[in-house]
Amino acid sequence: MTSLLSVEHLRVEIPTRRGTLLAVDDLSFDVAEGEVLGMVGETGAGKSLTGNAIIGLLDPPARIAAGRIGLRGRRIDDLPAEAMRHLRGKEIGAVFQDPLTSLNPLLTVGRHLTQTILTHLDMSPSQARARALKMLTEVGIPAARERLDSYPHQLSGGMRQRVVLALAFACDPTLVVADEPTTALDVSVQAQVIELLKRMCREHGTAVLLITHDMGVIADTADRIAVMYAGRLVEIGPTRSVLNAASHPYTQGLMASIPSMRRRGVALAQIEGSMPRLDAMPAGCAFHPRCPVKVERCTRERPDLAPAGASDVACWLSSTTATEDQVRHGG
Amino acid sequence: MAAEGHDVVLRVERLTKRYALDVPLLARIVSRERHRVVHAVEDVSFEIARGTTFALIGESGCGKSTIARCIAGILPPTSGSIHFMGADVARLRGRSAALPYRRNLQMIFQDPYASLNPRWSVARIIAEPIVTHRLLTSNAAIESRVIDLLRLVGLSATDRRKYPHQFSGGQRQRISIARALASEPAFLVCDEPTSALDVSVQAQILNLMRRLQRSLGLTYLLISHNFAVVAHMADRIGVMYLGRIVESGDTASVLDAPQHPYTRMLVAAVPDIDKPAGARQPLKGEVPSPLAPPPGCAFHPRCAFANERCRRELPALVRSGDAYVACHAIQERRAERRPEAGVDRSLV
Amino acid sequence: MSEEVAAPRWRDSDLVHDFVHSPVAIVSVAVTLILLVVGAGASFVAPYDVINPAVANVIDARLPPGAEGLAGQHYWLGTDPQGRDMLSAIIFGLRMSLLVGLSSVALAAVVGIALGLVSGYFGGLADAVIMRIADVQLSFPAILIALMIDGITRTLMNRDLHERLAIPVLIFAISASFWVQYARVVRGIVLVERGKEYVLAAKVTGVATPRIIASHLLPNALGPVLVIATINLALAILTESTLSFLGVGVPPTQPSLGSLIRIGNEFLFSGNWWISMIPAAVLVLLSLAVNLVGDWLRDALNPKLSTA
Repeated sequence: MTSLLSVEHLRVEIPTRRGTLLAVDDLSFDVAEGEVLGMVGETGAGKSLTGNAIIGLLDPPARIAAGRIGLRGRRIDDLPAEAMRHLRGKEIGAVFQDPLTSLNPLLTVGRHLTQTILTHLDMSPSQARARALKMLTEVGIPAARERLDSYPHQLSGGMRQRVVLALAFACDPTLVVADEPTTALDVSVQAQVIELLKRMCREHGTAVLLITHDMGVIADTADRIAVMYAGRLVEIGPTRSVLNAASHPYTQGLMASIPSMRRRGVALAQIEGSMPRLDAMPAGCAFHPRCPVKVERCTRERPDLAPAGASDVACWLSSTTATEDQVRHGG
Repeated sequence: MAAEGHDVVLRVERLTKRYALDVPLLARIVSRERHRVVHAVEDVSFEIARGTTFALIGESGCGKSTIARCIAGILPPTSGSIHFMGADVARLRGRSAALPYRRNLQMIFQDPYASLNPRWSVARIIAEPIVTHRLLTSNAAIESRVIDLLRLVGLSATDRRKYPHQFSGGQRQRISIARALASEPAFLVCDEPTSALDVSVQAQILNLMRRLQRSLGLTYLLISHNFAVVAHMADRIGVMYLGRIVESGDTASVLDAPQHPYTRMLVAAVPDIDKPAGARQPLKGEVPSPLAPPPGCAFHPRCAFANERCRRELPALVRSGDAYVACHAIQERRAERRPEAGVDRSLV
Repeated sequence: MSEEVAAPRWRDSDLVHDFVHSPVAIVSVAVTLILLVVGAGASFVAPYDVINPAVANVIDARLPPGAEGLAGQHYWLGTDPQGRDMLSAIIFGLRMSLLVGLSSVALAAVVGIALGLVSGYFGGLADAVIMRIADVQLSFPAILIALMIDGITRTLMNRDLHERLAIPVLIFAISASFWVQYARVVRGIVLVERGKEYVLAAKVTGVATPRIIASHLLPNALGPVLVIATINLALAILTESTLSFLGVGVPPTQPSLGSLIRIGNEFLFSGNWWISMIPAAVLVLLSLAVNLVGDWLRDALNPKLSTA
């Protein structure tokens, strides 16, 4: 599969008055055409920053300190603002968490769509409006023609998020970065929006970088999963492998600590401690202070991503080149 | 819904809470709207037995948080009664009358960042219930109790001098739990206690809550929108929709053999990591606004089994098998167990 | 289980860090402190006693700065038309400005905070009444209110009484227009904070309402209040000086920067510039320094005011 998005050795730094914090540390991964890559991690793992870096919307003082982001081979992390603006919306679409603040309260839904369409595609205003109507219908908004003239506050949360999806897909992008797209929604609406996202990706052939901390959503949607911890990638592989047969101790601990409706009444596995603060990062592997199976090497050397079964794992104990016993998730 | 035989700690009867929305004078004249009423909670009744966890689950606008606040005493109900420790606490007037009950009923909130006063030290925060109820008088005794409570929730004695902003979300929830336990309550209302926390931290907090329940004999009212958390913590579940309980029963019945169409659809729609991809059935439509609940059964616009009676008549909560269900279709035996054909995959 | 983080030292706080790295803040705070100390210790610092009319020597009237008096007194900044030493007069005037300024800010703050707390917490009728009074008050300029109050008291009291009570009346008049800012800001903060879970937790625990207001809400409102107070101080000092300049502030026997400027006004064109200009310069320095401290404080405290 050809690689649509390639991130190589990405470093995102945040200079503060107490020193520079490294929020994303040497991150490398690919997204293939048309695939859904789920990026999971807990608060502070750096997944949102990664998404923002790719779209080019890092909030200063955060900045890309090193590395390379390429879209279809073309380098995009060092583009000037004007060129990035053309890229955004046309090649890369974005969906954010809160649909209320993602939409301008002063613009009608129709204006949002036509503005985006006219900026990136060469059409007349009436053609743009027709396309806007088509997008709204496609995302399942009832009475779409009347809805073109509605304002965001007149729509419910689920409807708003559908409009945001319509905006993201309006110019037929090749990649959509979705940062916690369902977290602010009710359960029943979540299901609808996820279904919609999956359908749009299938029909448009768009790849999705789905960033979330909700494992249930990822289980349902992603082809591959990338697990982030303390700014680093610890495991990446096909969804079922990562969920059911994780190799990295953090991933295993994470999966075992998620309550599930099927597994009731048993105490949840818990990982002691918490993610290290950015200004107090341990030497070697970032997870070693909390790791139940660490060895001496883990405290000194940071592990690289190495193959382990169907996935790539950053752990001295889990890669197929290790001489120690592999730790398997107990299901 | 009797938790049969056991010692009942809390009994809620016909609890109702309505809000009047002020319509501006001009709008009232122009559109002849009388002032609108939000039916947040309508005619809710349930019991909780000692040492158990009863969970109220539902989506936004269903009224579960409102019920929690009425029970905790920060929101006066419109009508109905709340029987706690032998008294109807909804009827109590004045602080001195309510004080003995407040000692035994505490609350844990959702937002770990807003539930602790940023200007108070941890020791002062935890000691507040002790001081308010004058349970201990000497400073040394209070400090010693604060240290005990900190250790009980997994924090250390030195944490008592620190301030909330020095702690993570999970640690703050522990501090909230310590504060809630300070007056040795019998009953805790937990309003989405882990919704704002990361998954691994959630696991720590849920395990802690279960441990404390066993060792201290606590009774919990758990409010949540997360089915997995509820599955893990609750003995009995009440499913709410637009201010009413539509189904209630013990956890296994409600989750494994849901009867009410809304419960069934909800259980089927919930994302769960153990569910194979594609096994989800999205619901039709969205929850209507509590300002204008549909007539008859509030769920009928989205229900595959709705008939004429559903559109006119409000179903009563009656016993059906192991649970209590408010549904005409169930009572009339029109709803089959697995309504695959009735679930519409369209997204409208 | 928890991280072993030591309790923070105030030296490490962001505020101190900001201060140390901001030359403007350091200079303005230093200047303000110096003026404060000089003014407070006026009786000790000033070379001559200007309150006592017997000390002034009319023969030495309108001497330029650096001149020598008849009896050998050294006048660093010259003398005024009544022969009073300018340096001493300015120092005592500084004391007066600071006294009136600080008192009126304190009074306005106390009244404003109290009304803001009541208004924000209880809402309803109390809120409506207080806010409408505030609105009415805001439509009058401070000087106008002060003039009105002064005029009323003058007609009500005889001359003697009025002179003795002039300063309290002045303080009252100035704070009458300033309390509104505090009330509004505190009310806004209370409206936000009273819905927060820590306040609800206190209610669930059964904490009495006055205690909730005093120990939970009030401390959280003080940050912005401090900023307003600092900026208000400069304004209060200027207002006092303006009123004294107009002749309705401090009584003529007491020195005030404003009245010195007024006295000196008549002699500006005779070439006796120092009687007007030097007090004016001191006034500008004081209000500028205080204003800069207030500005810096507002910016430094701002990110701390918004919770993560």
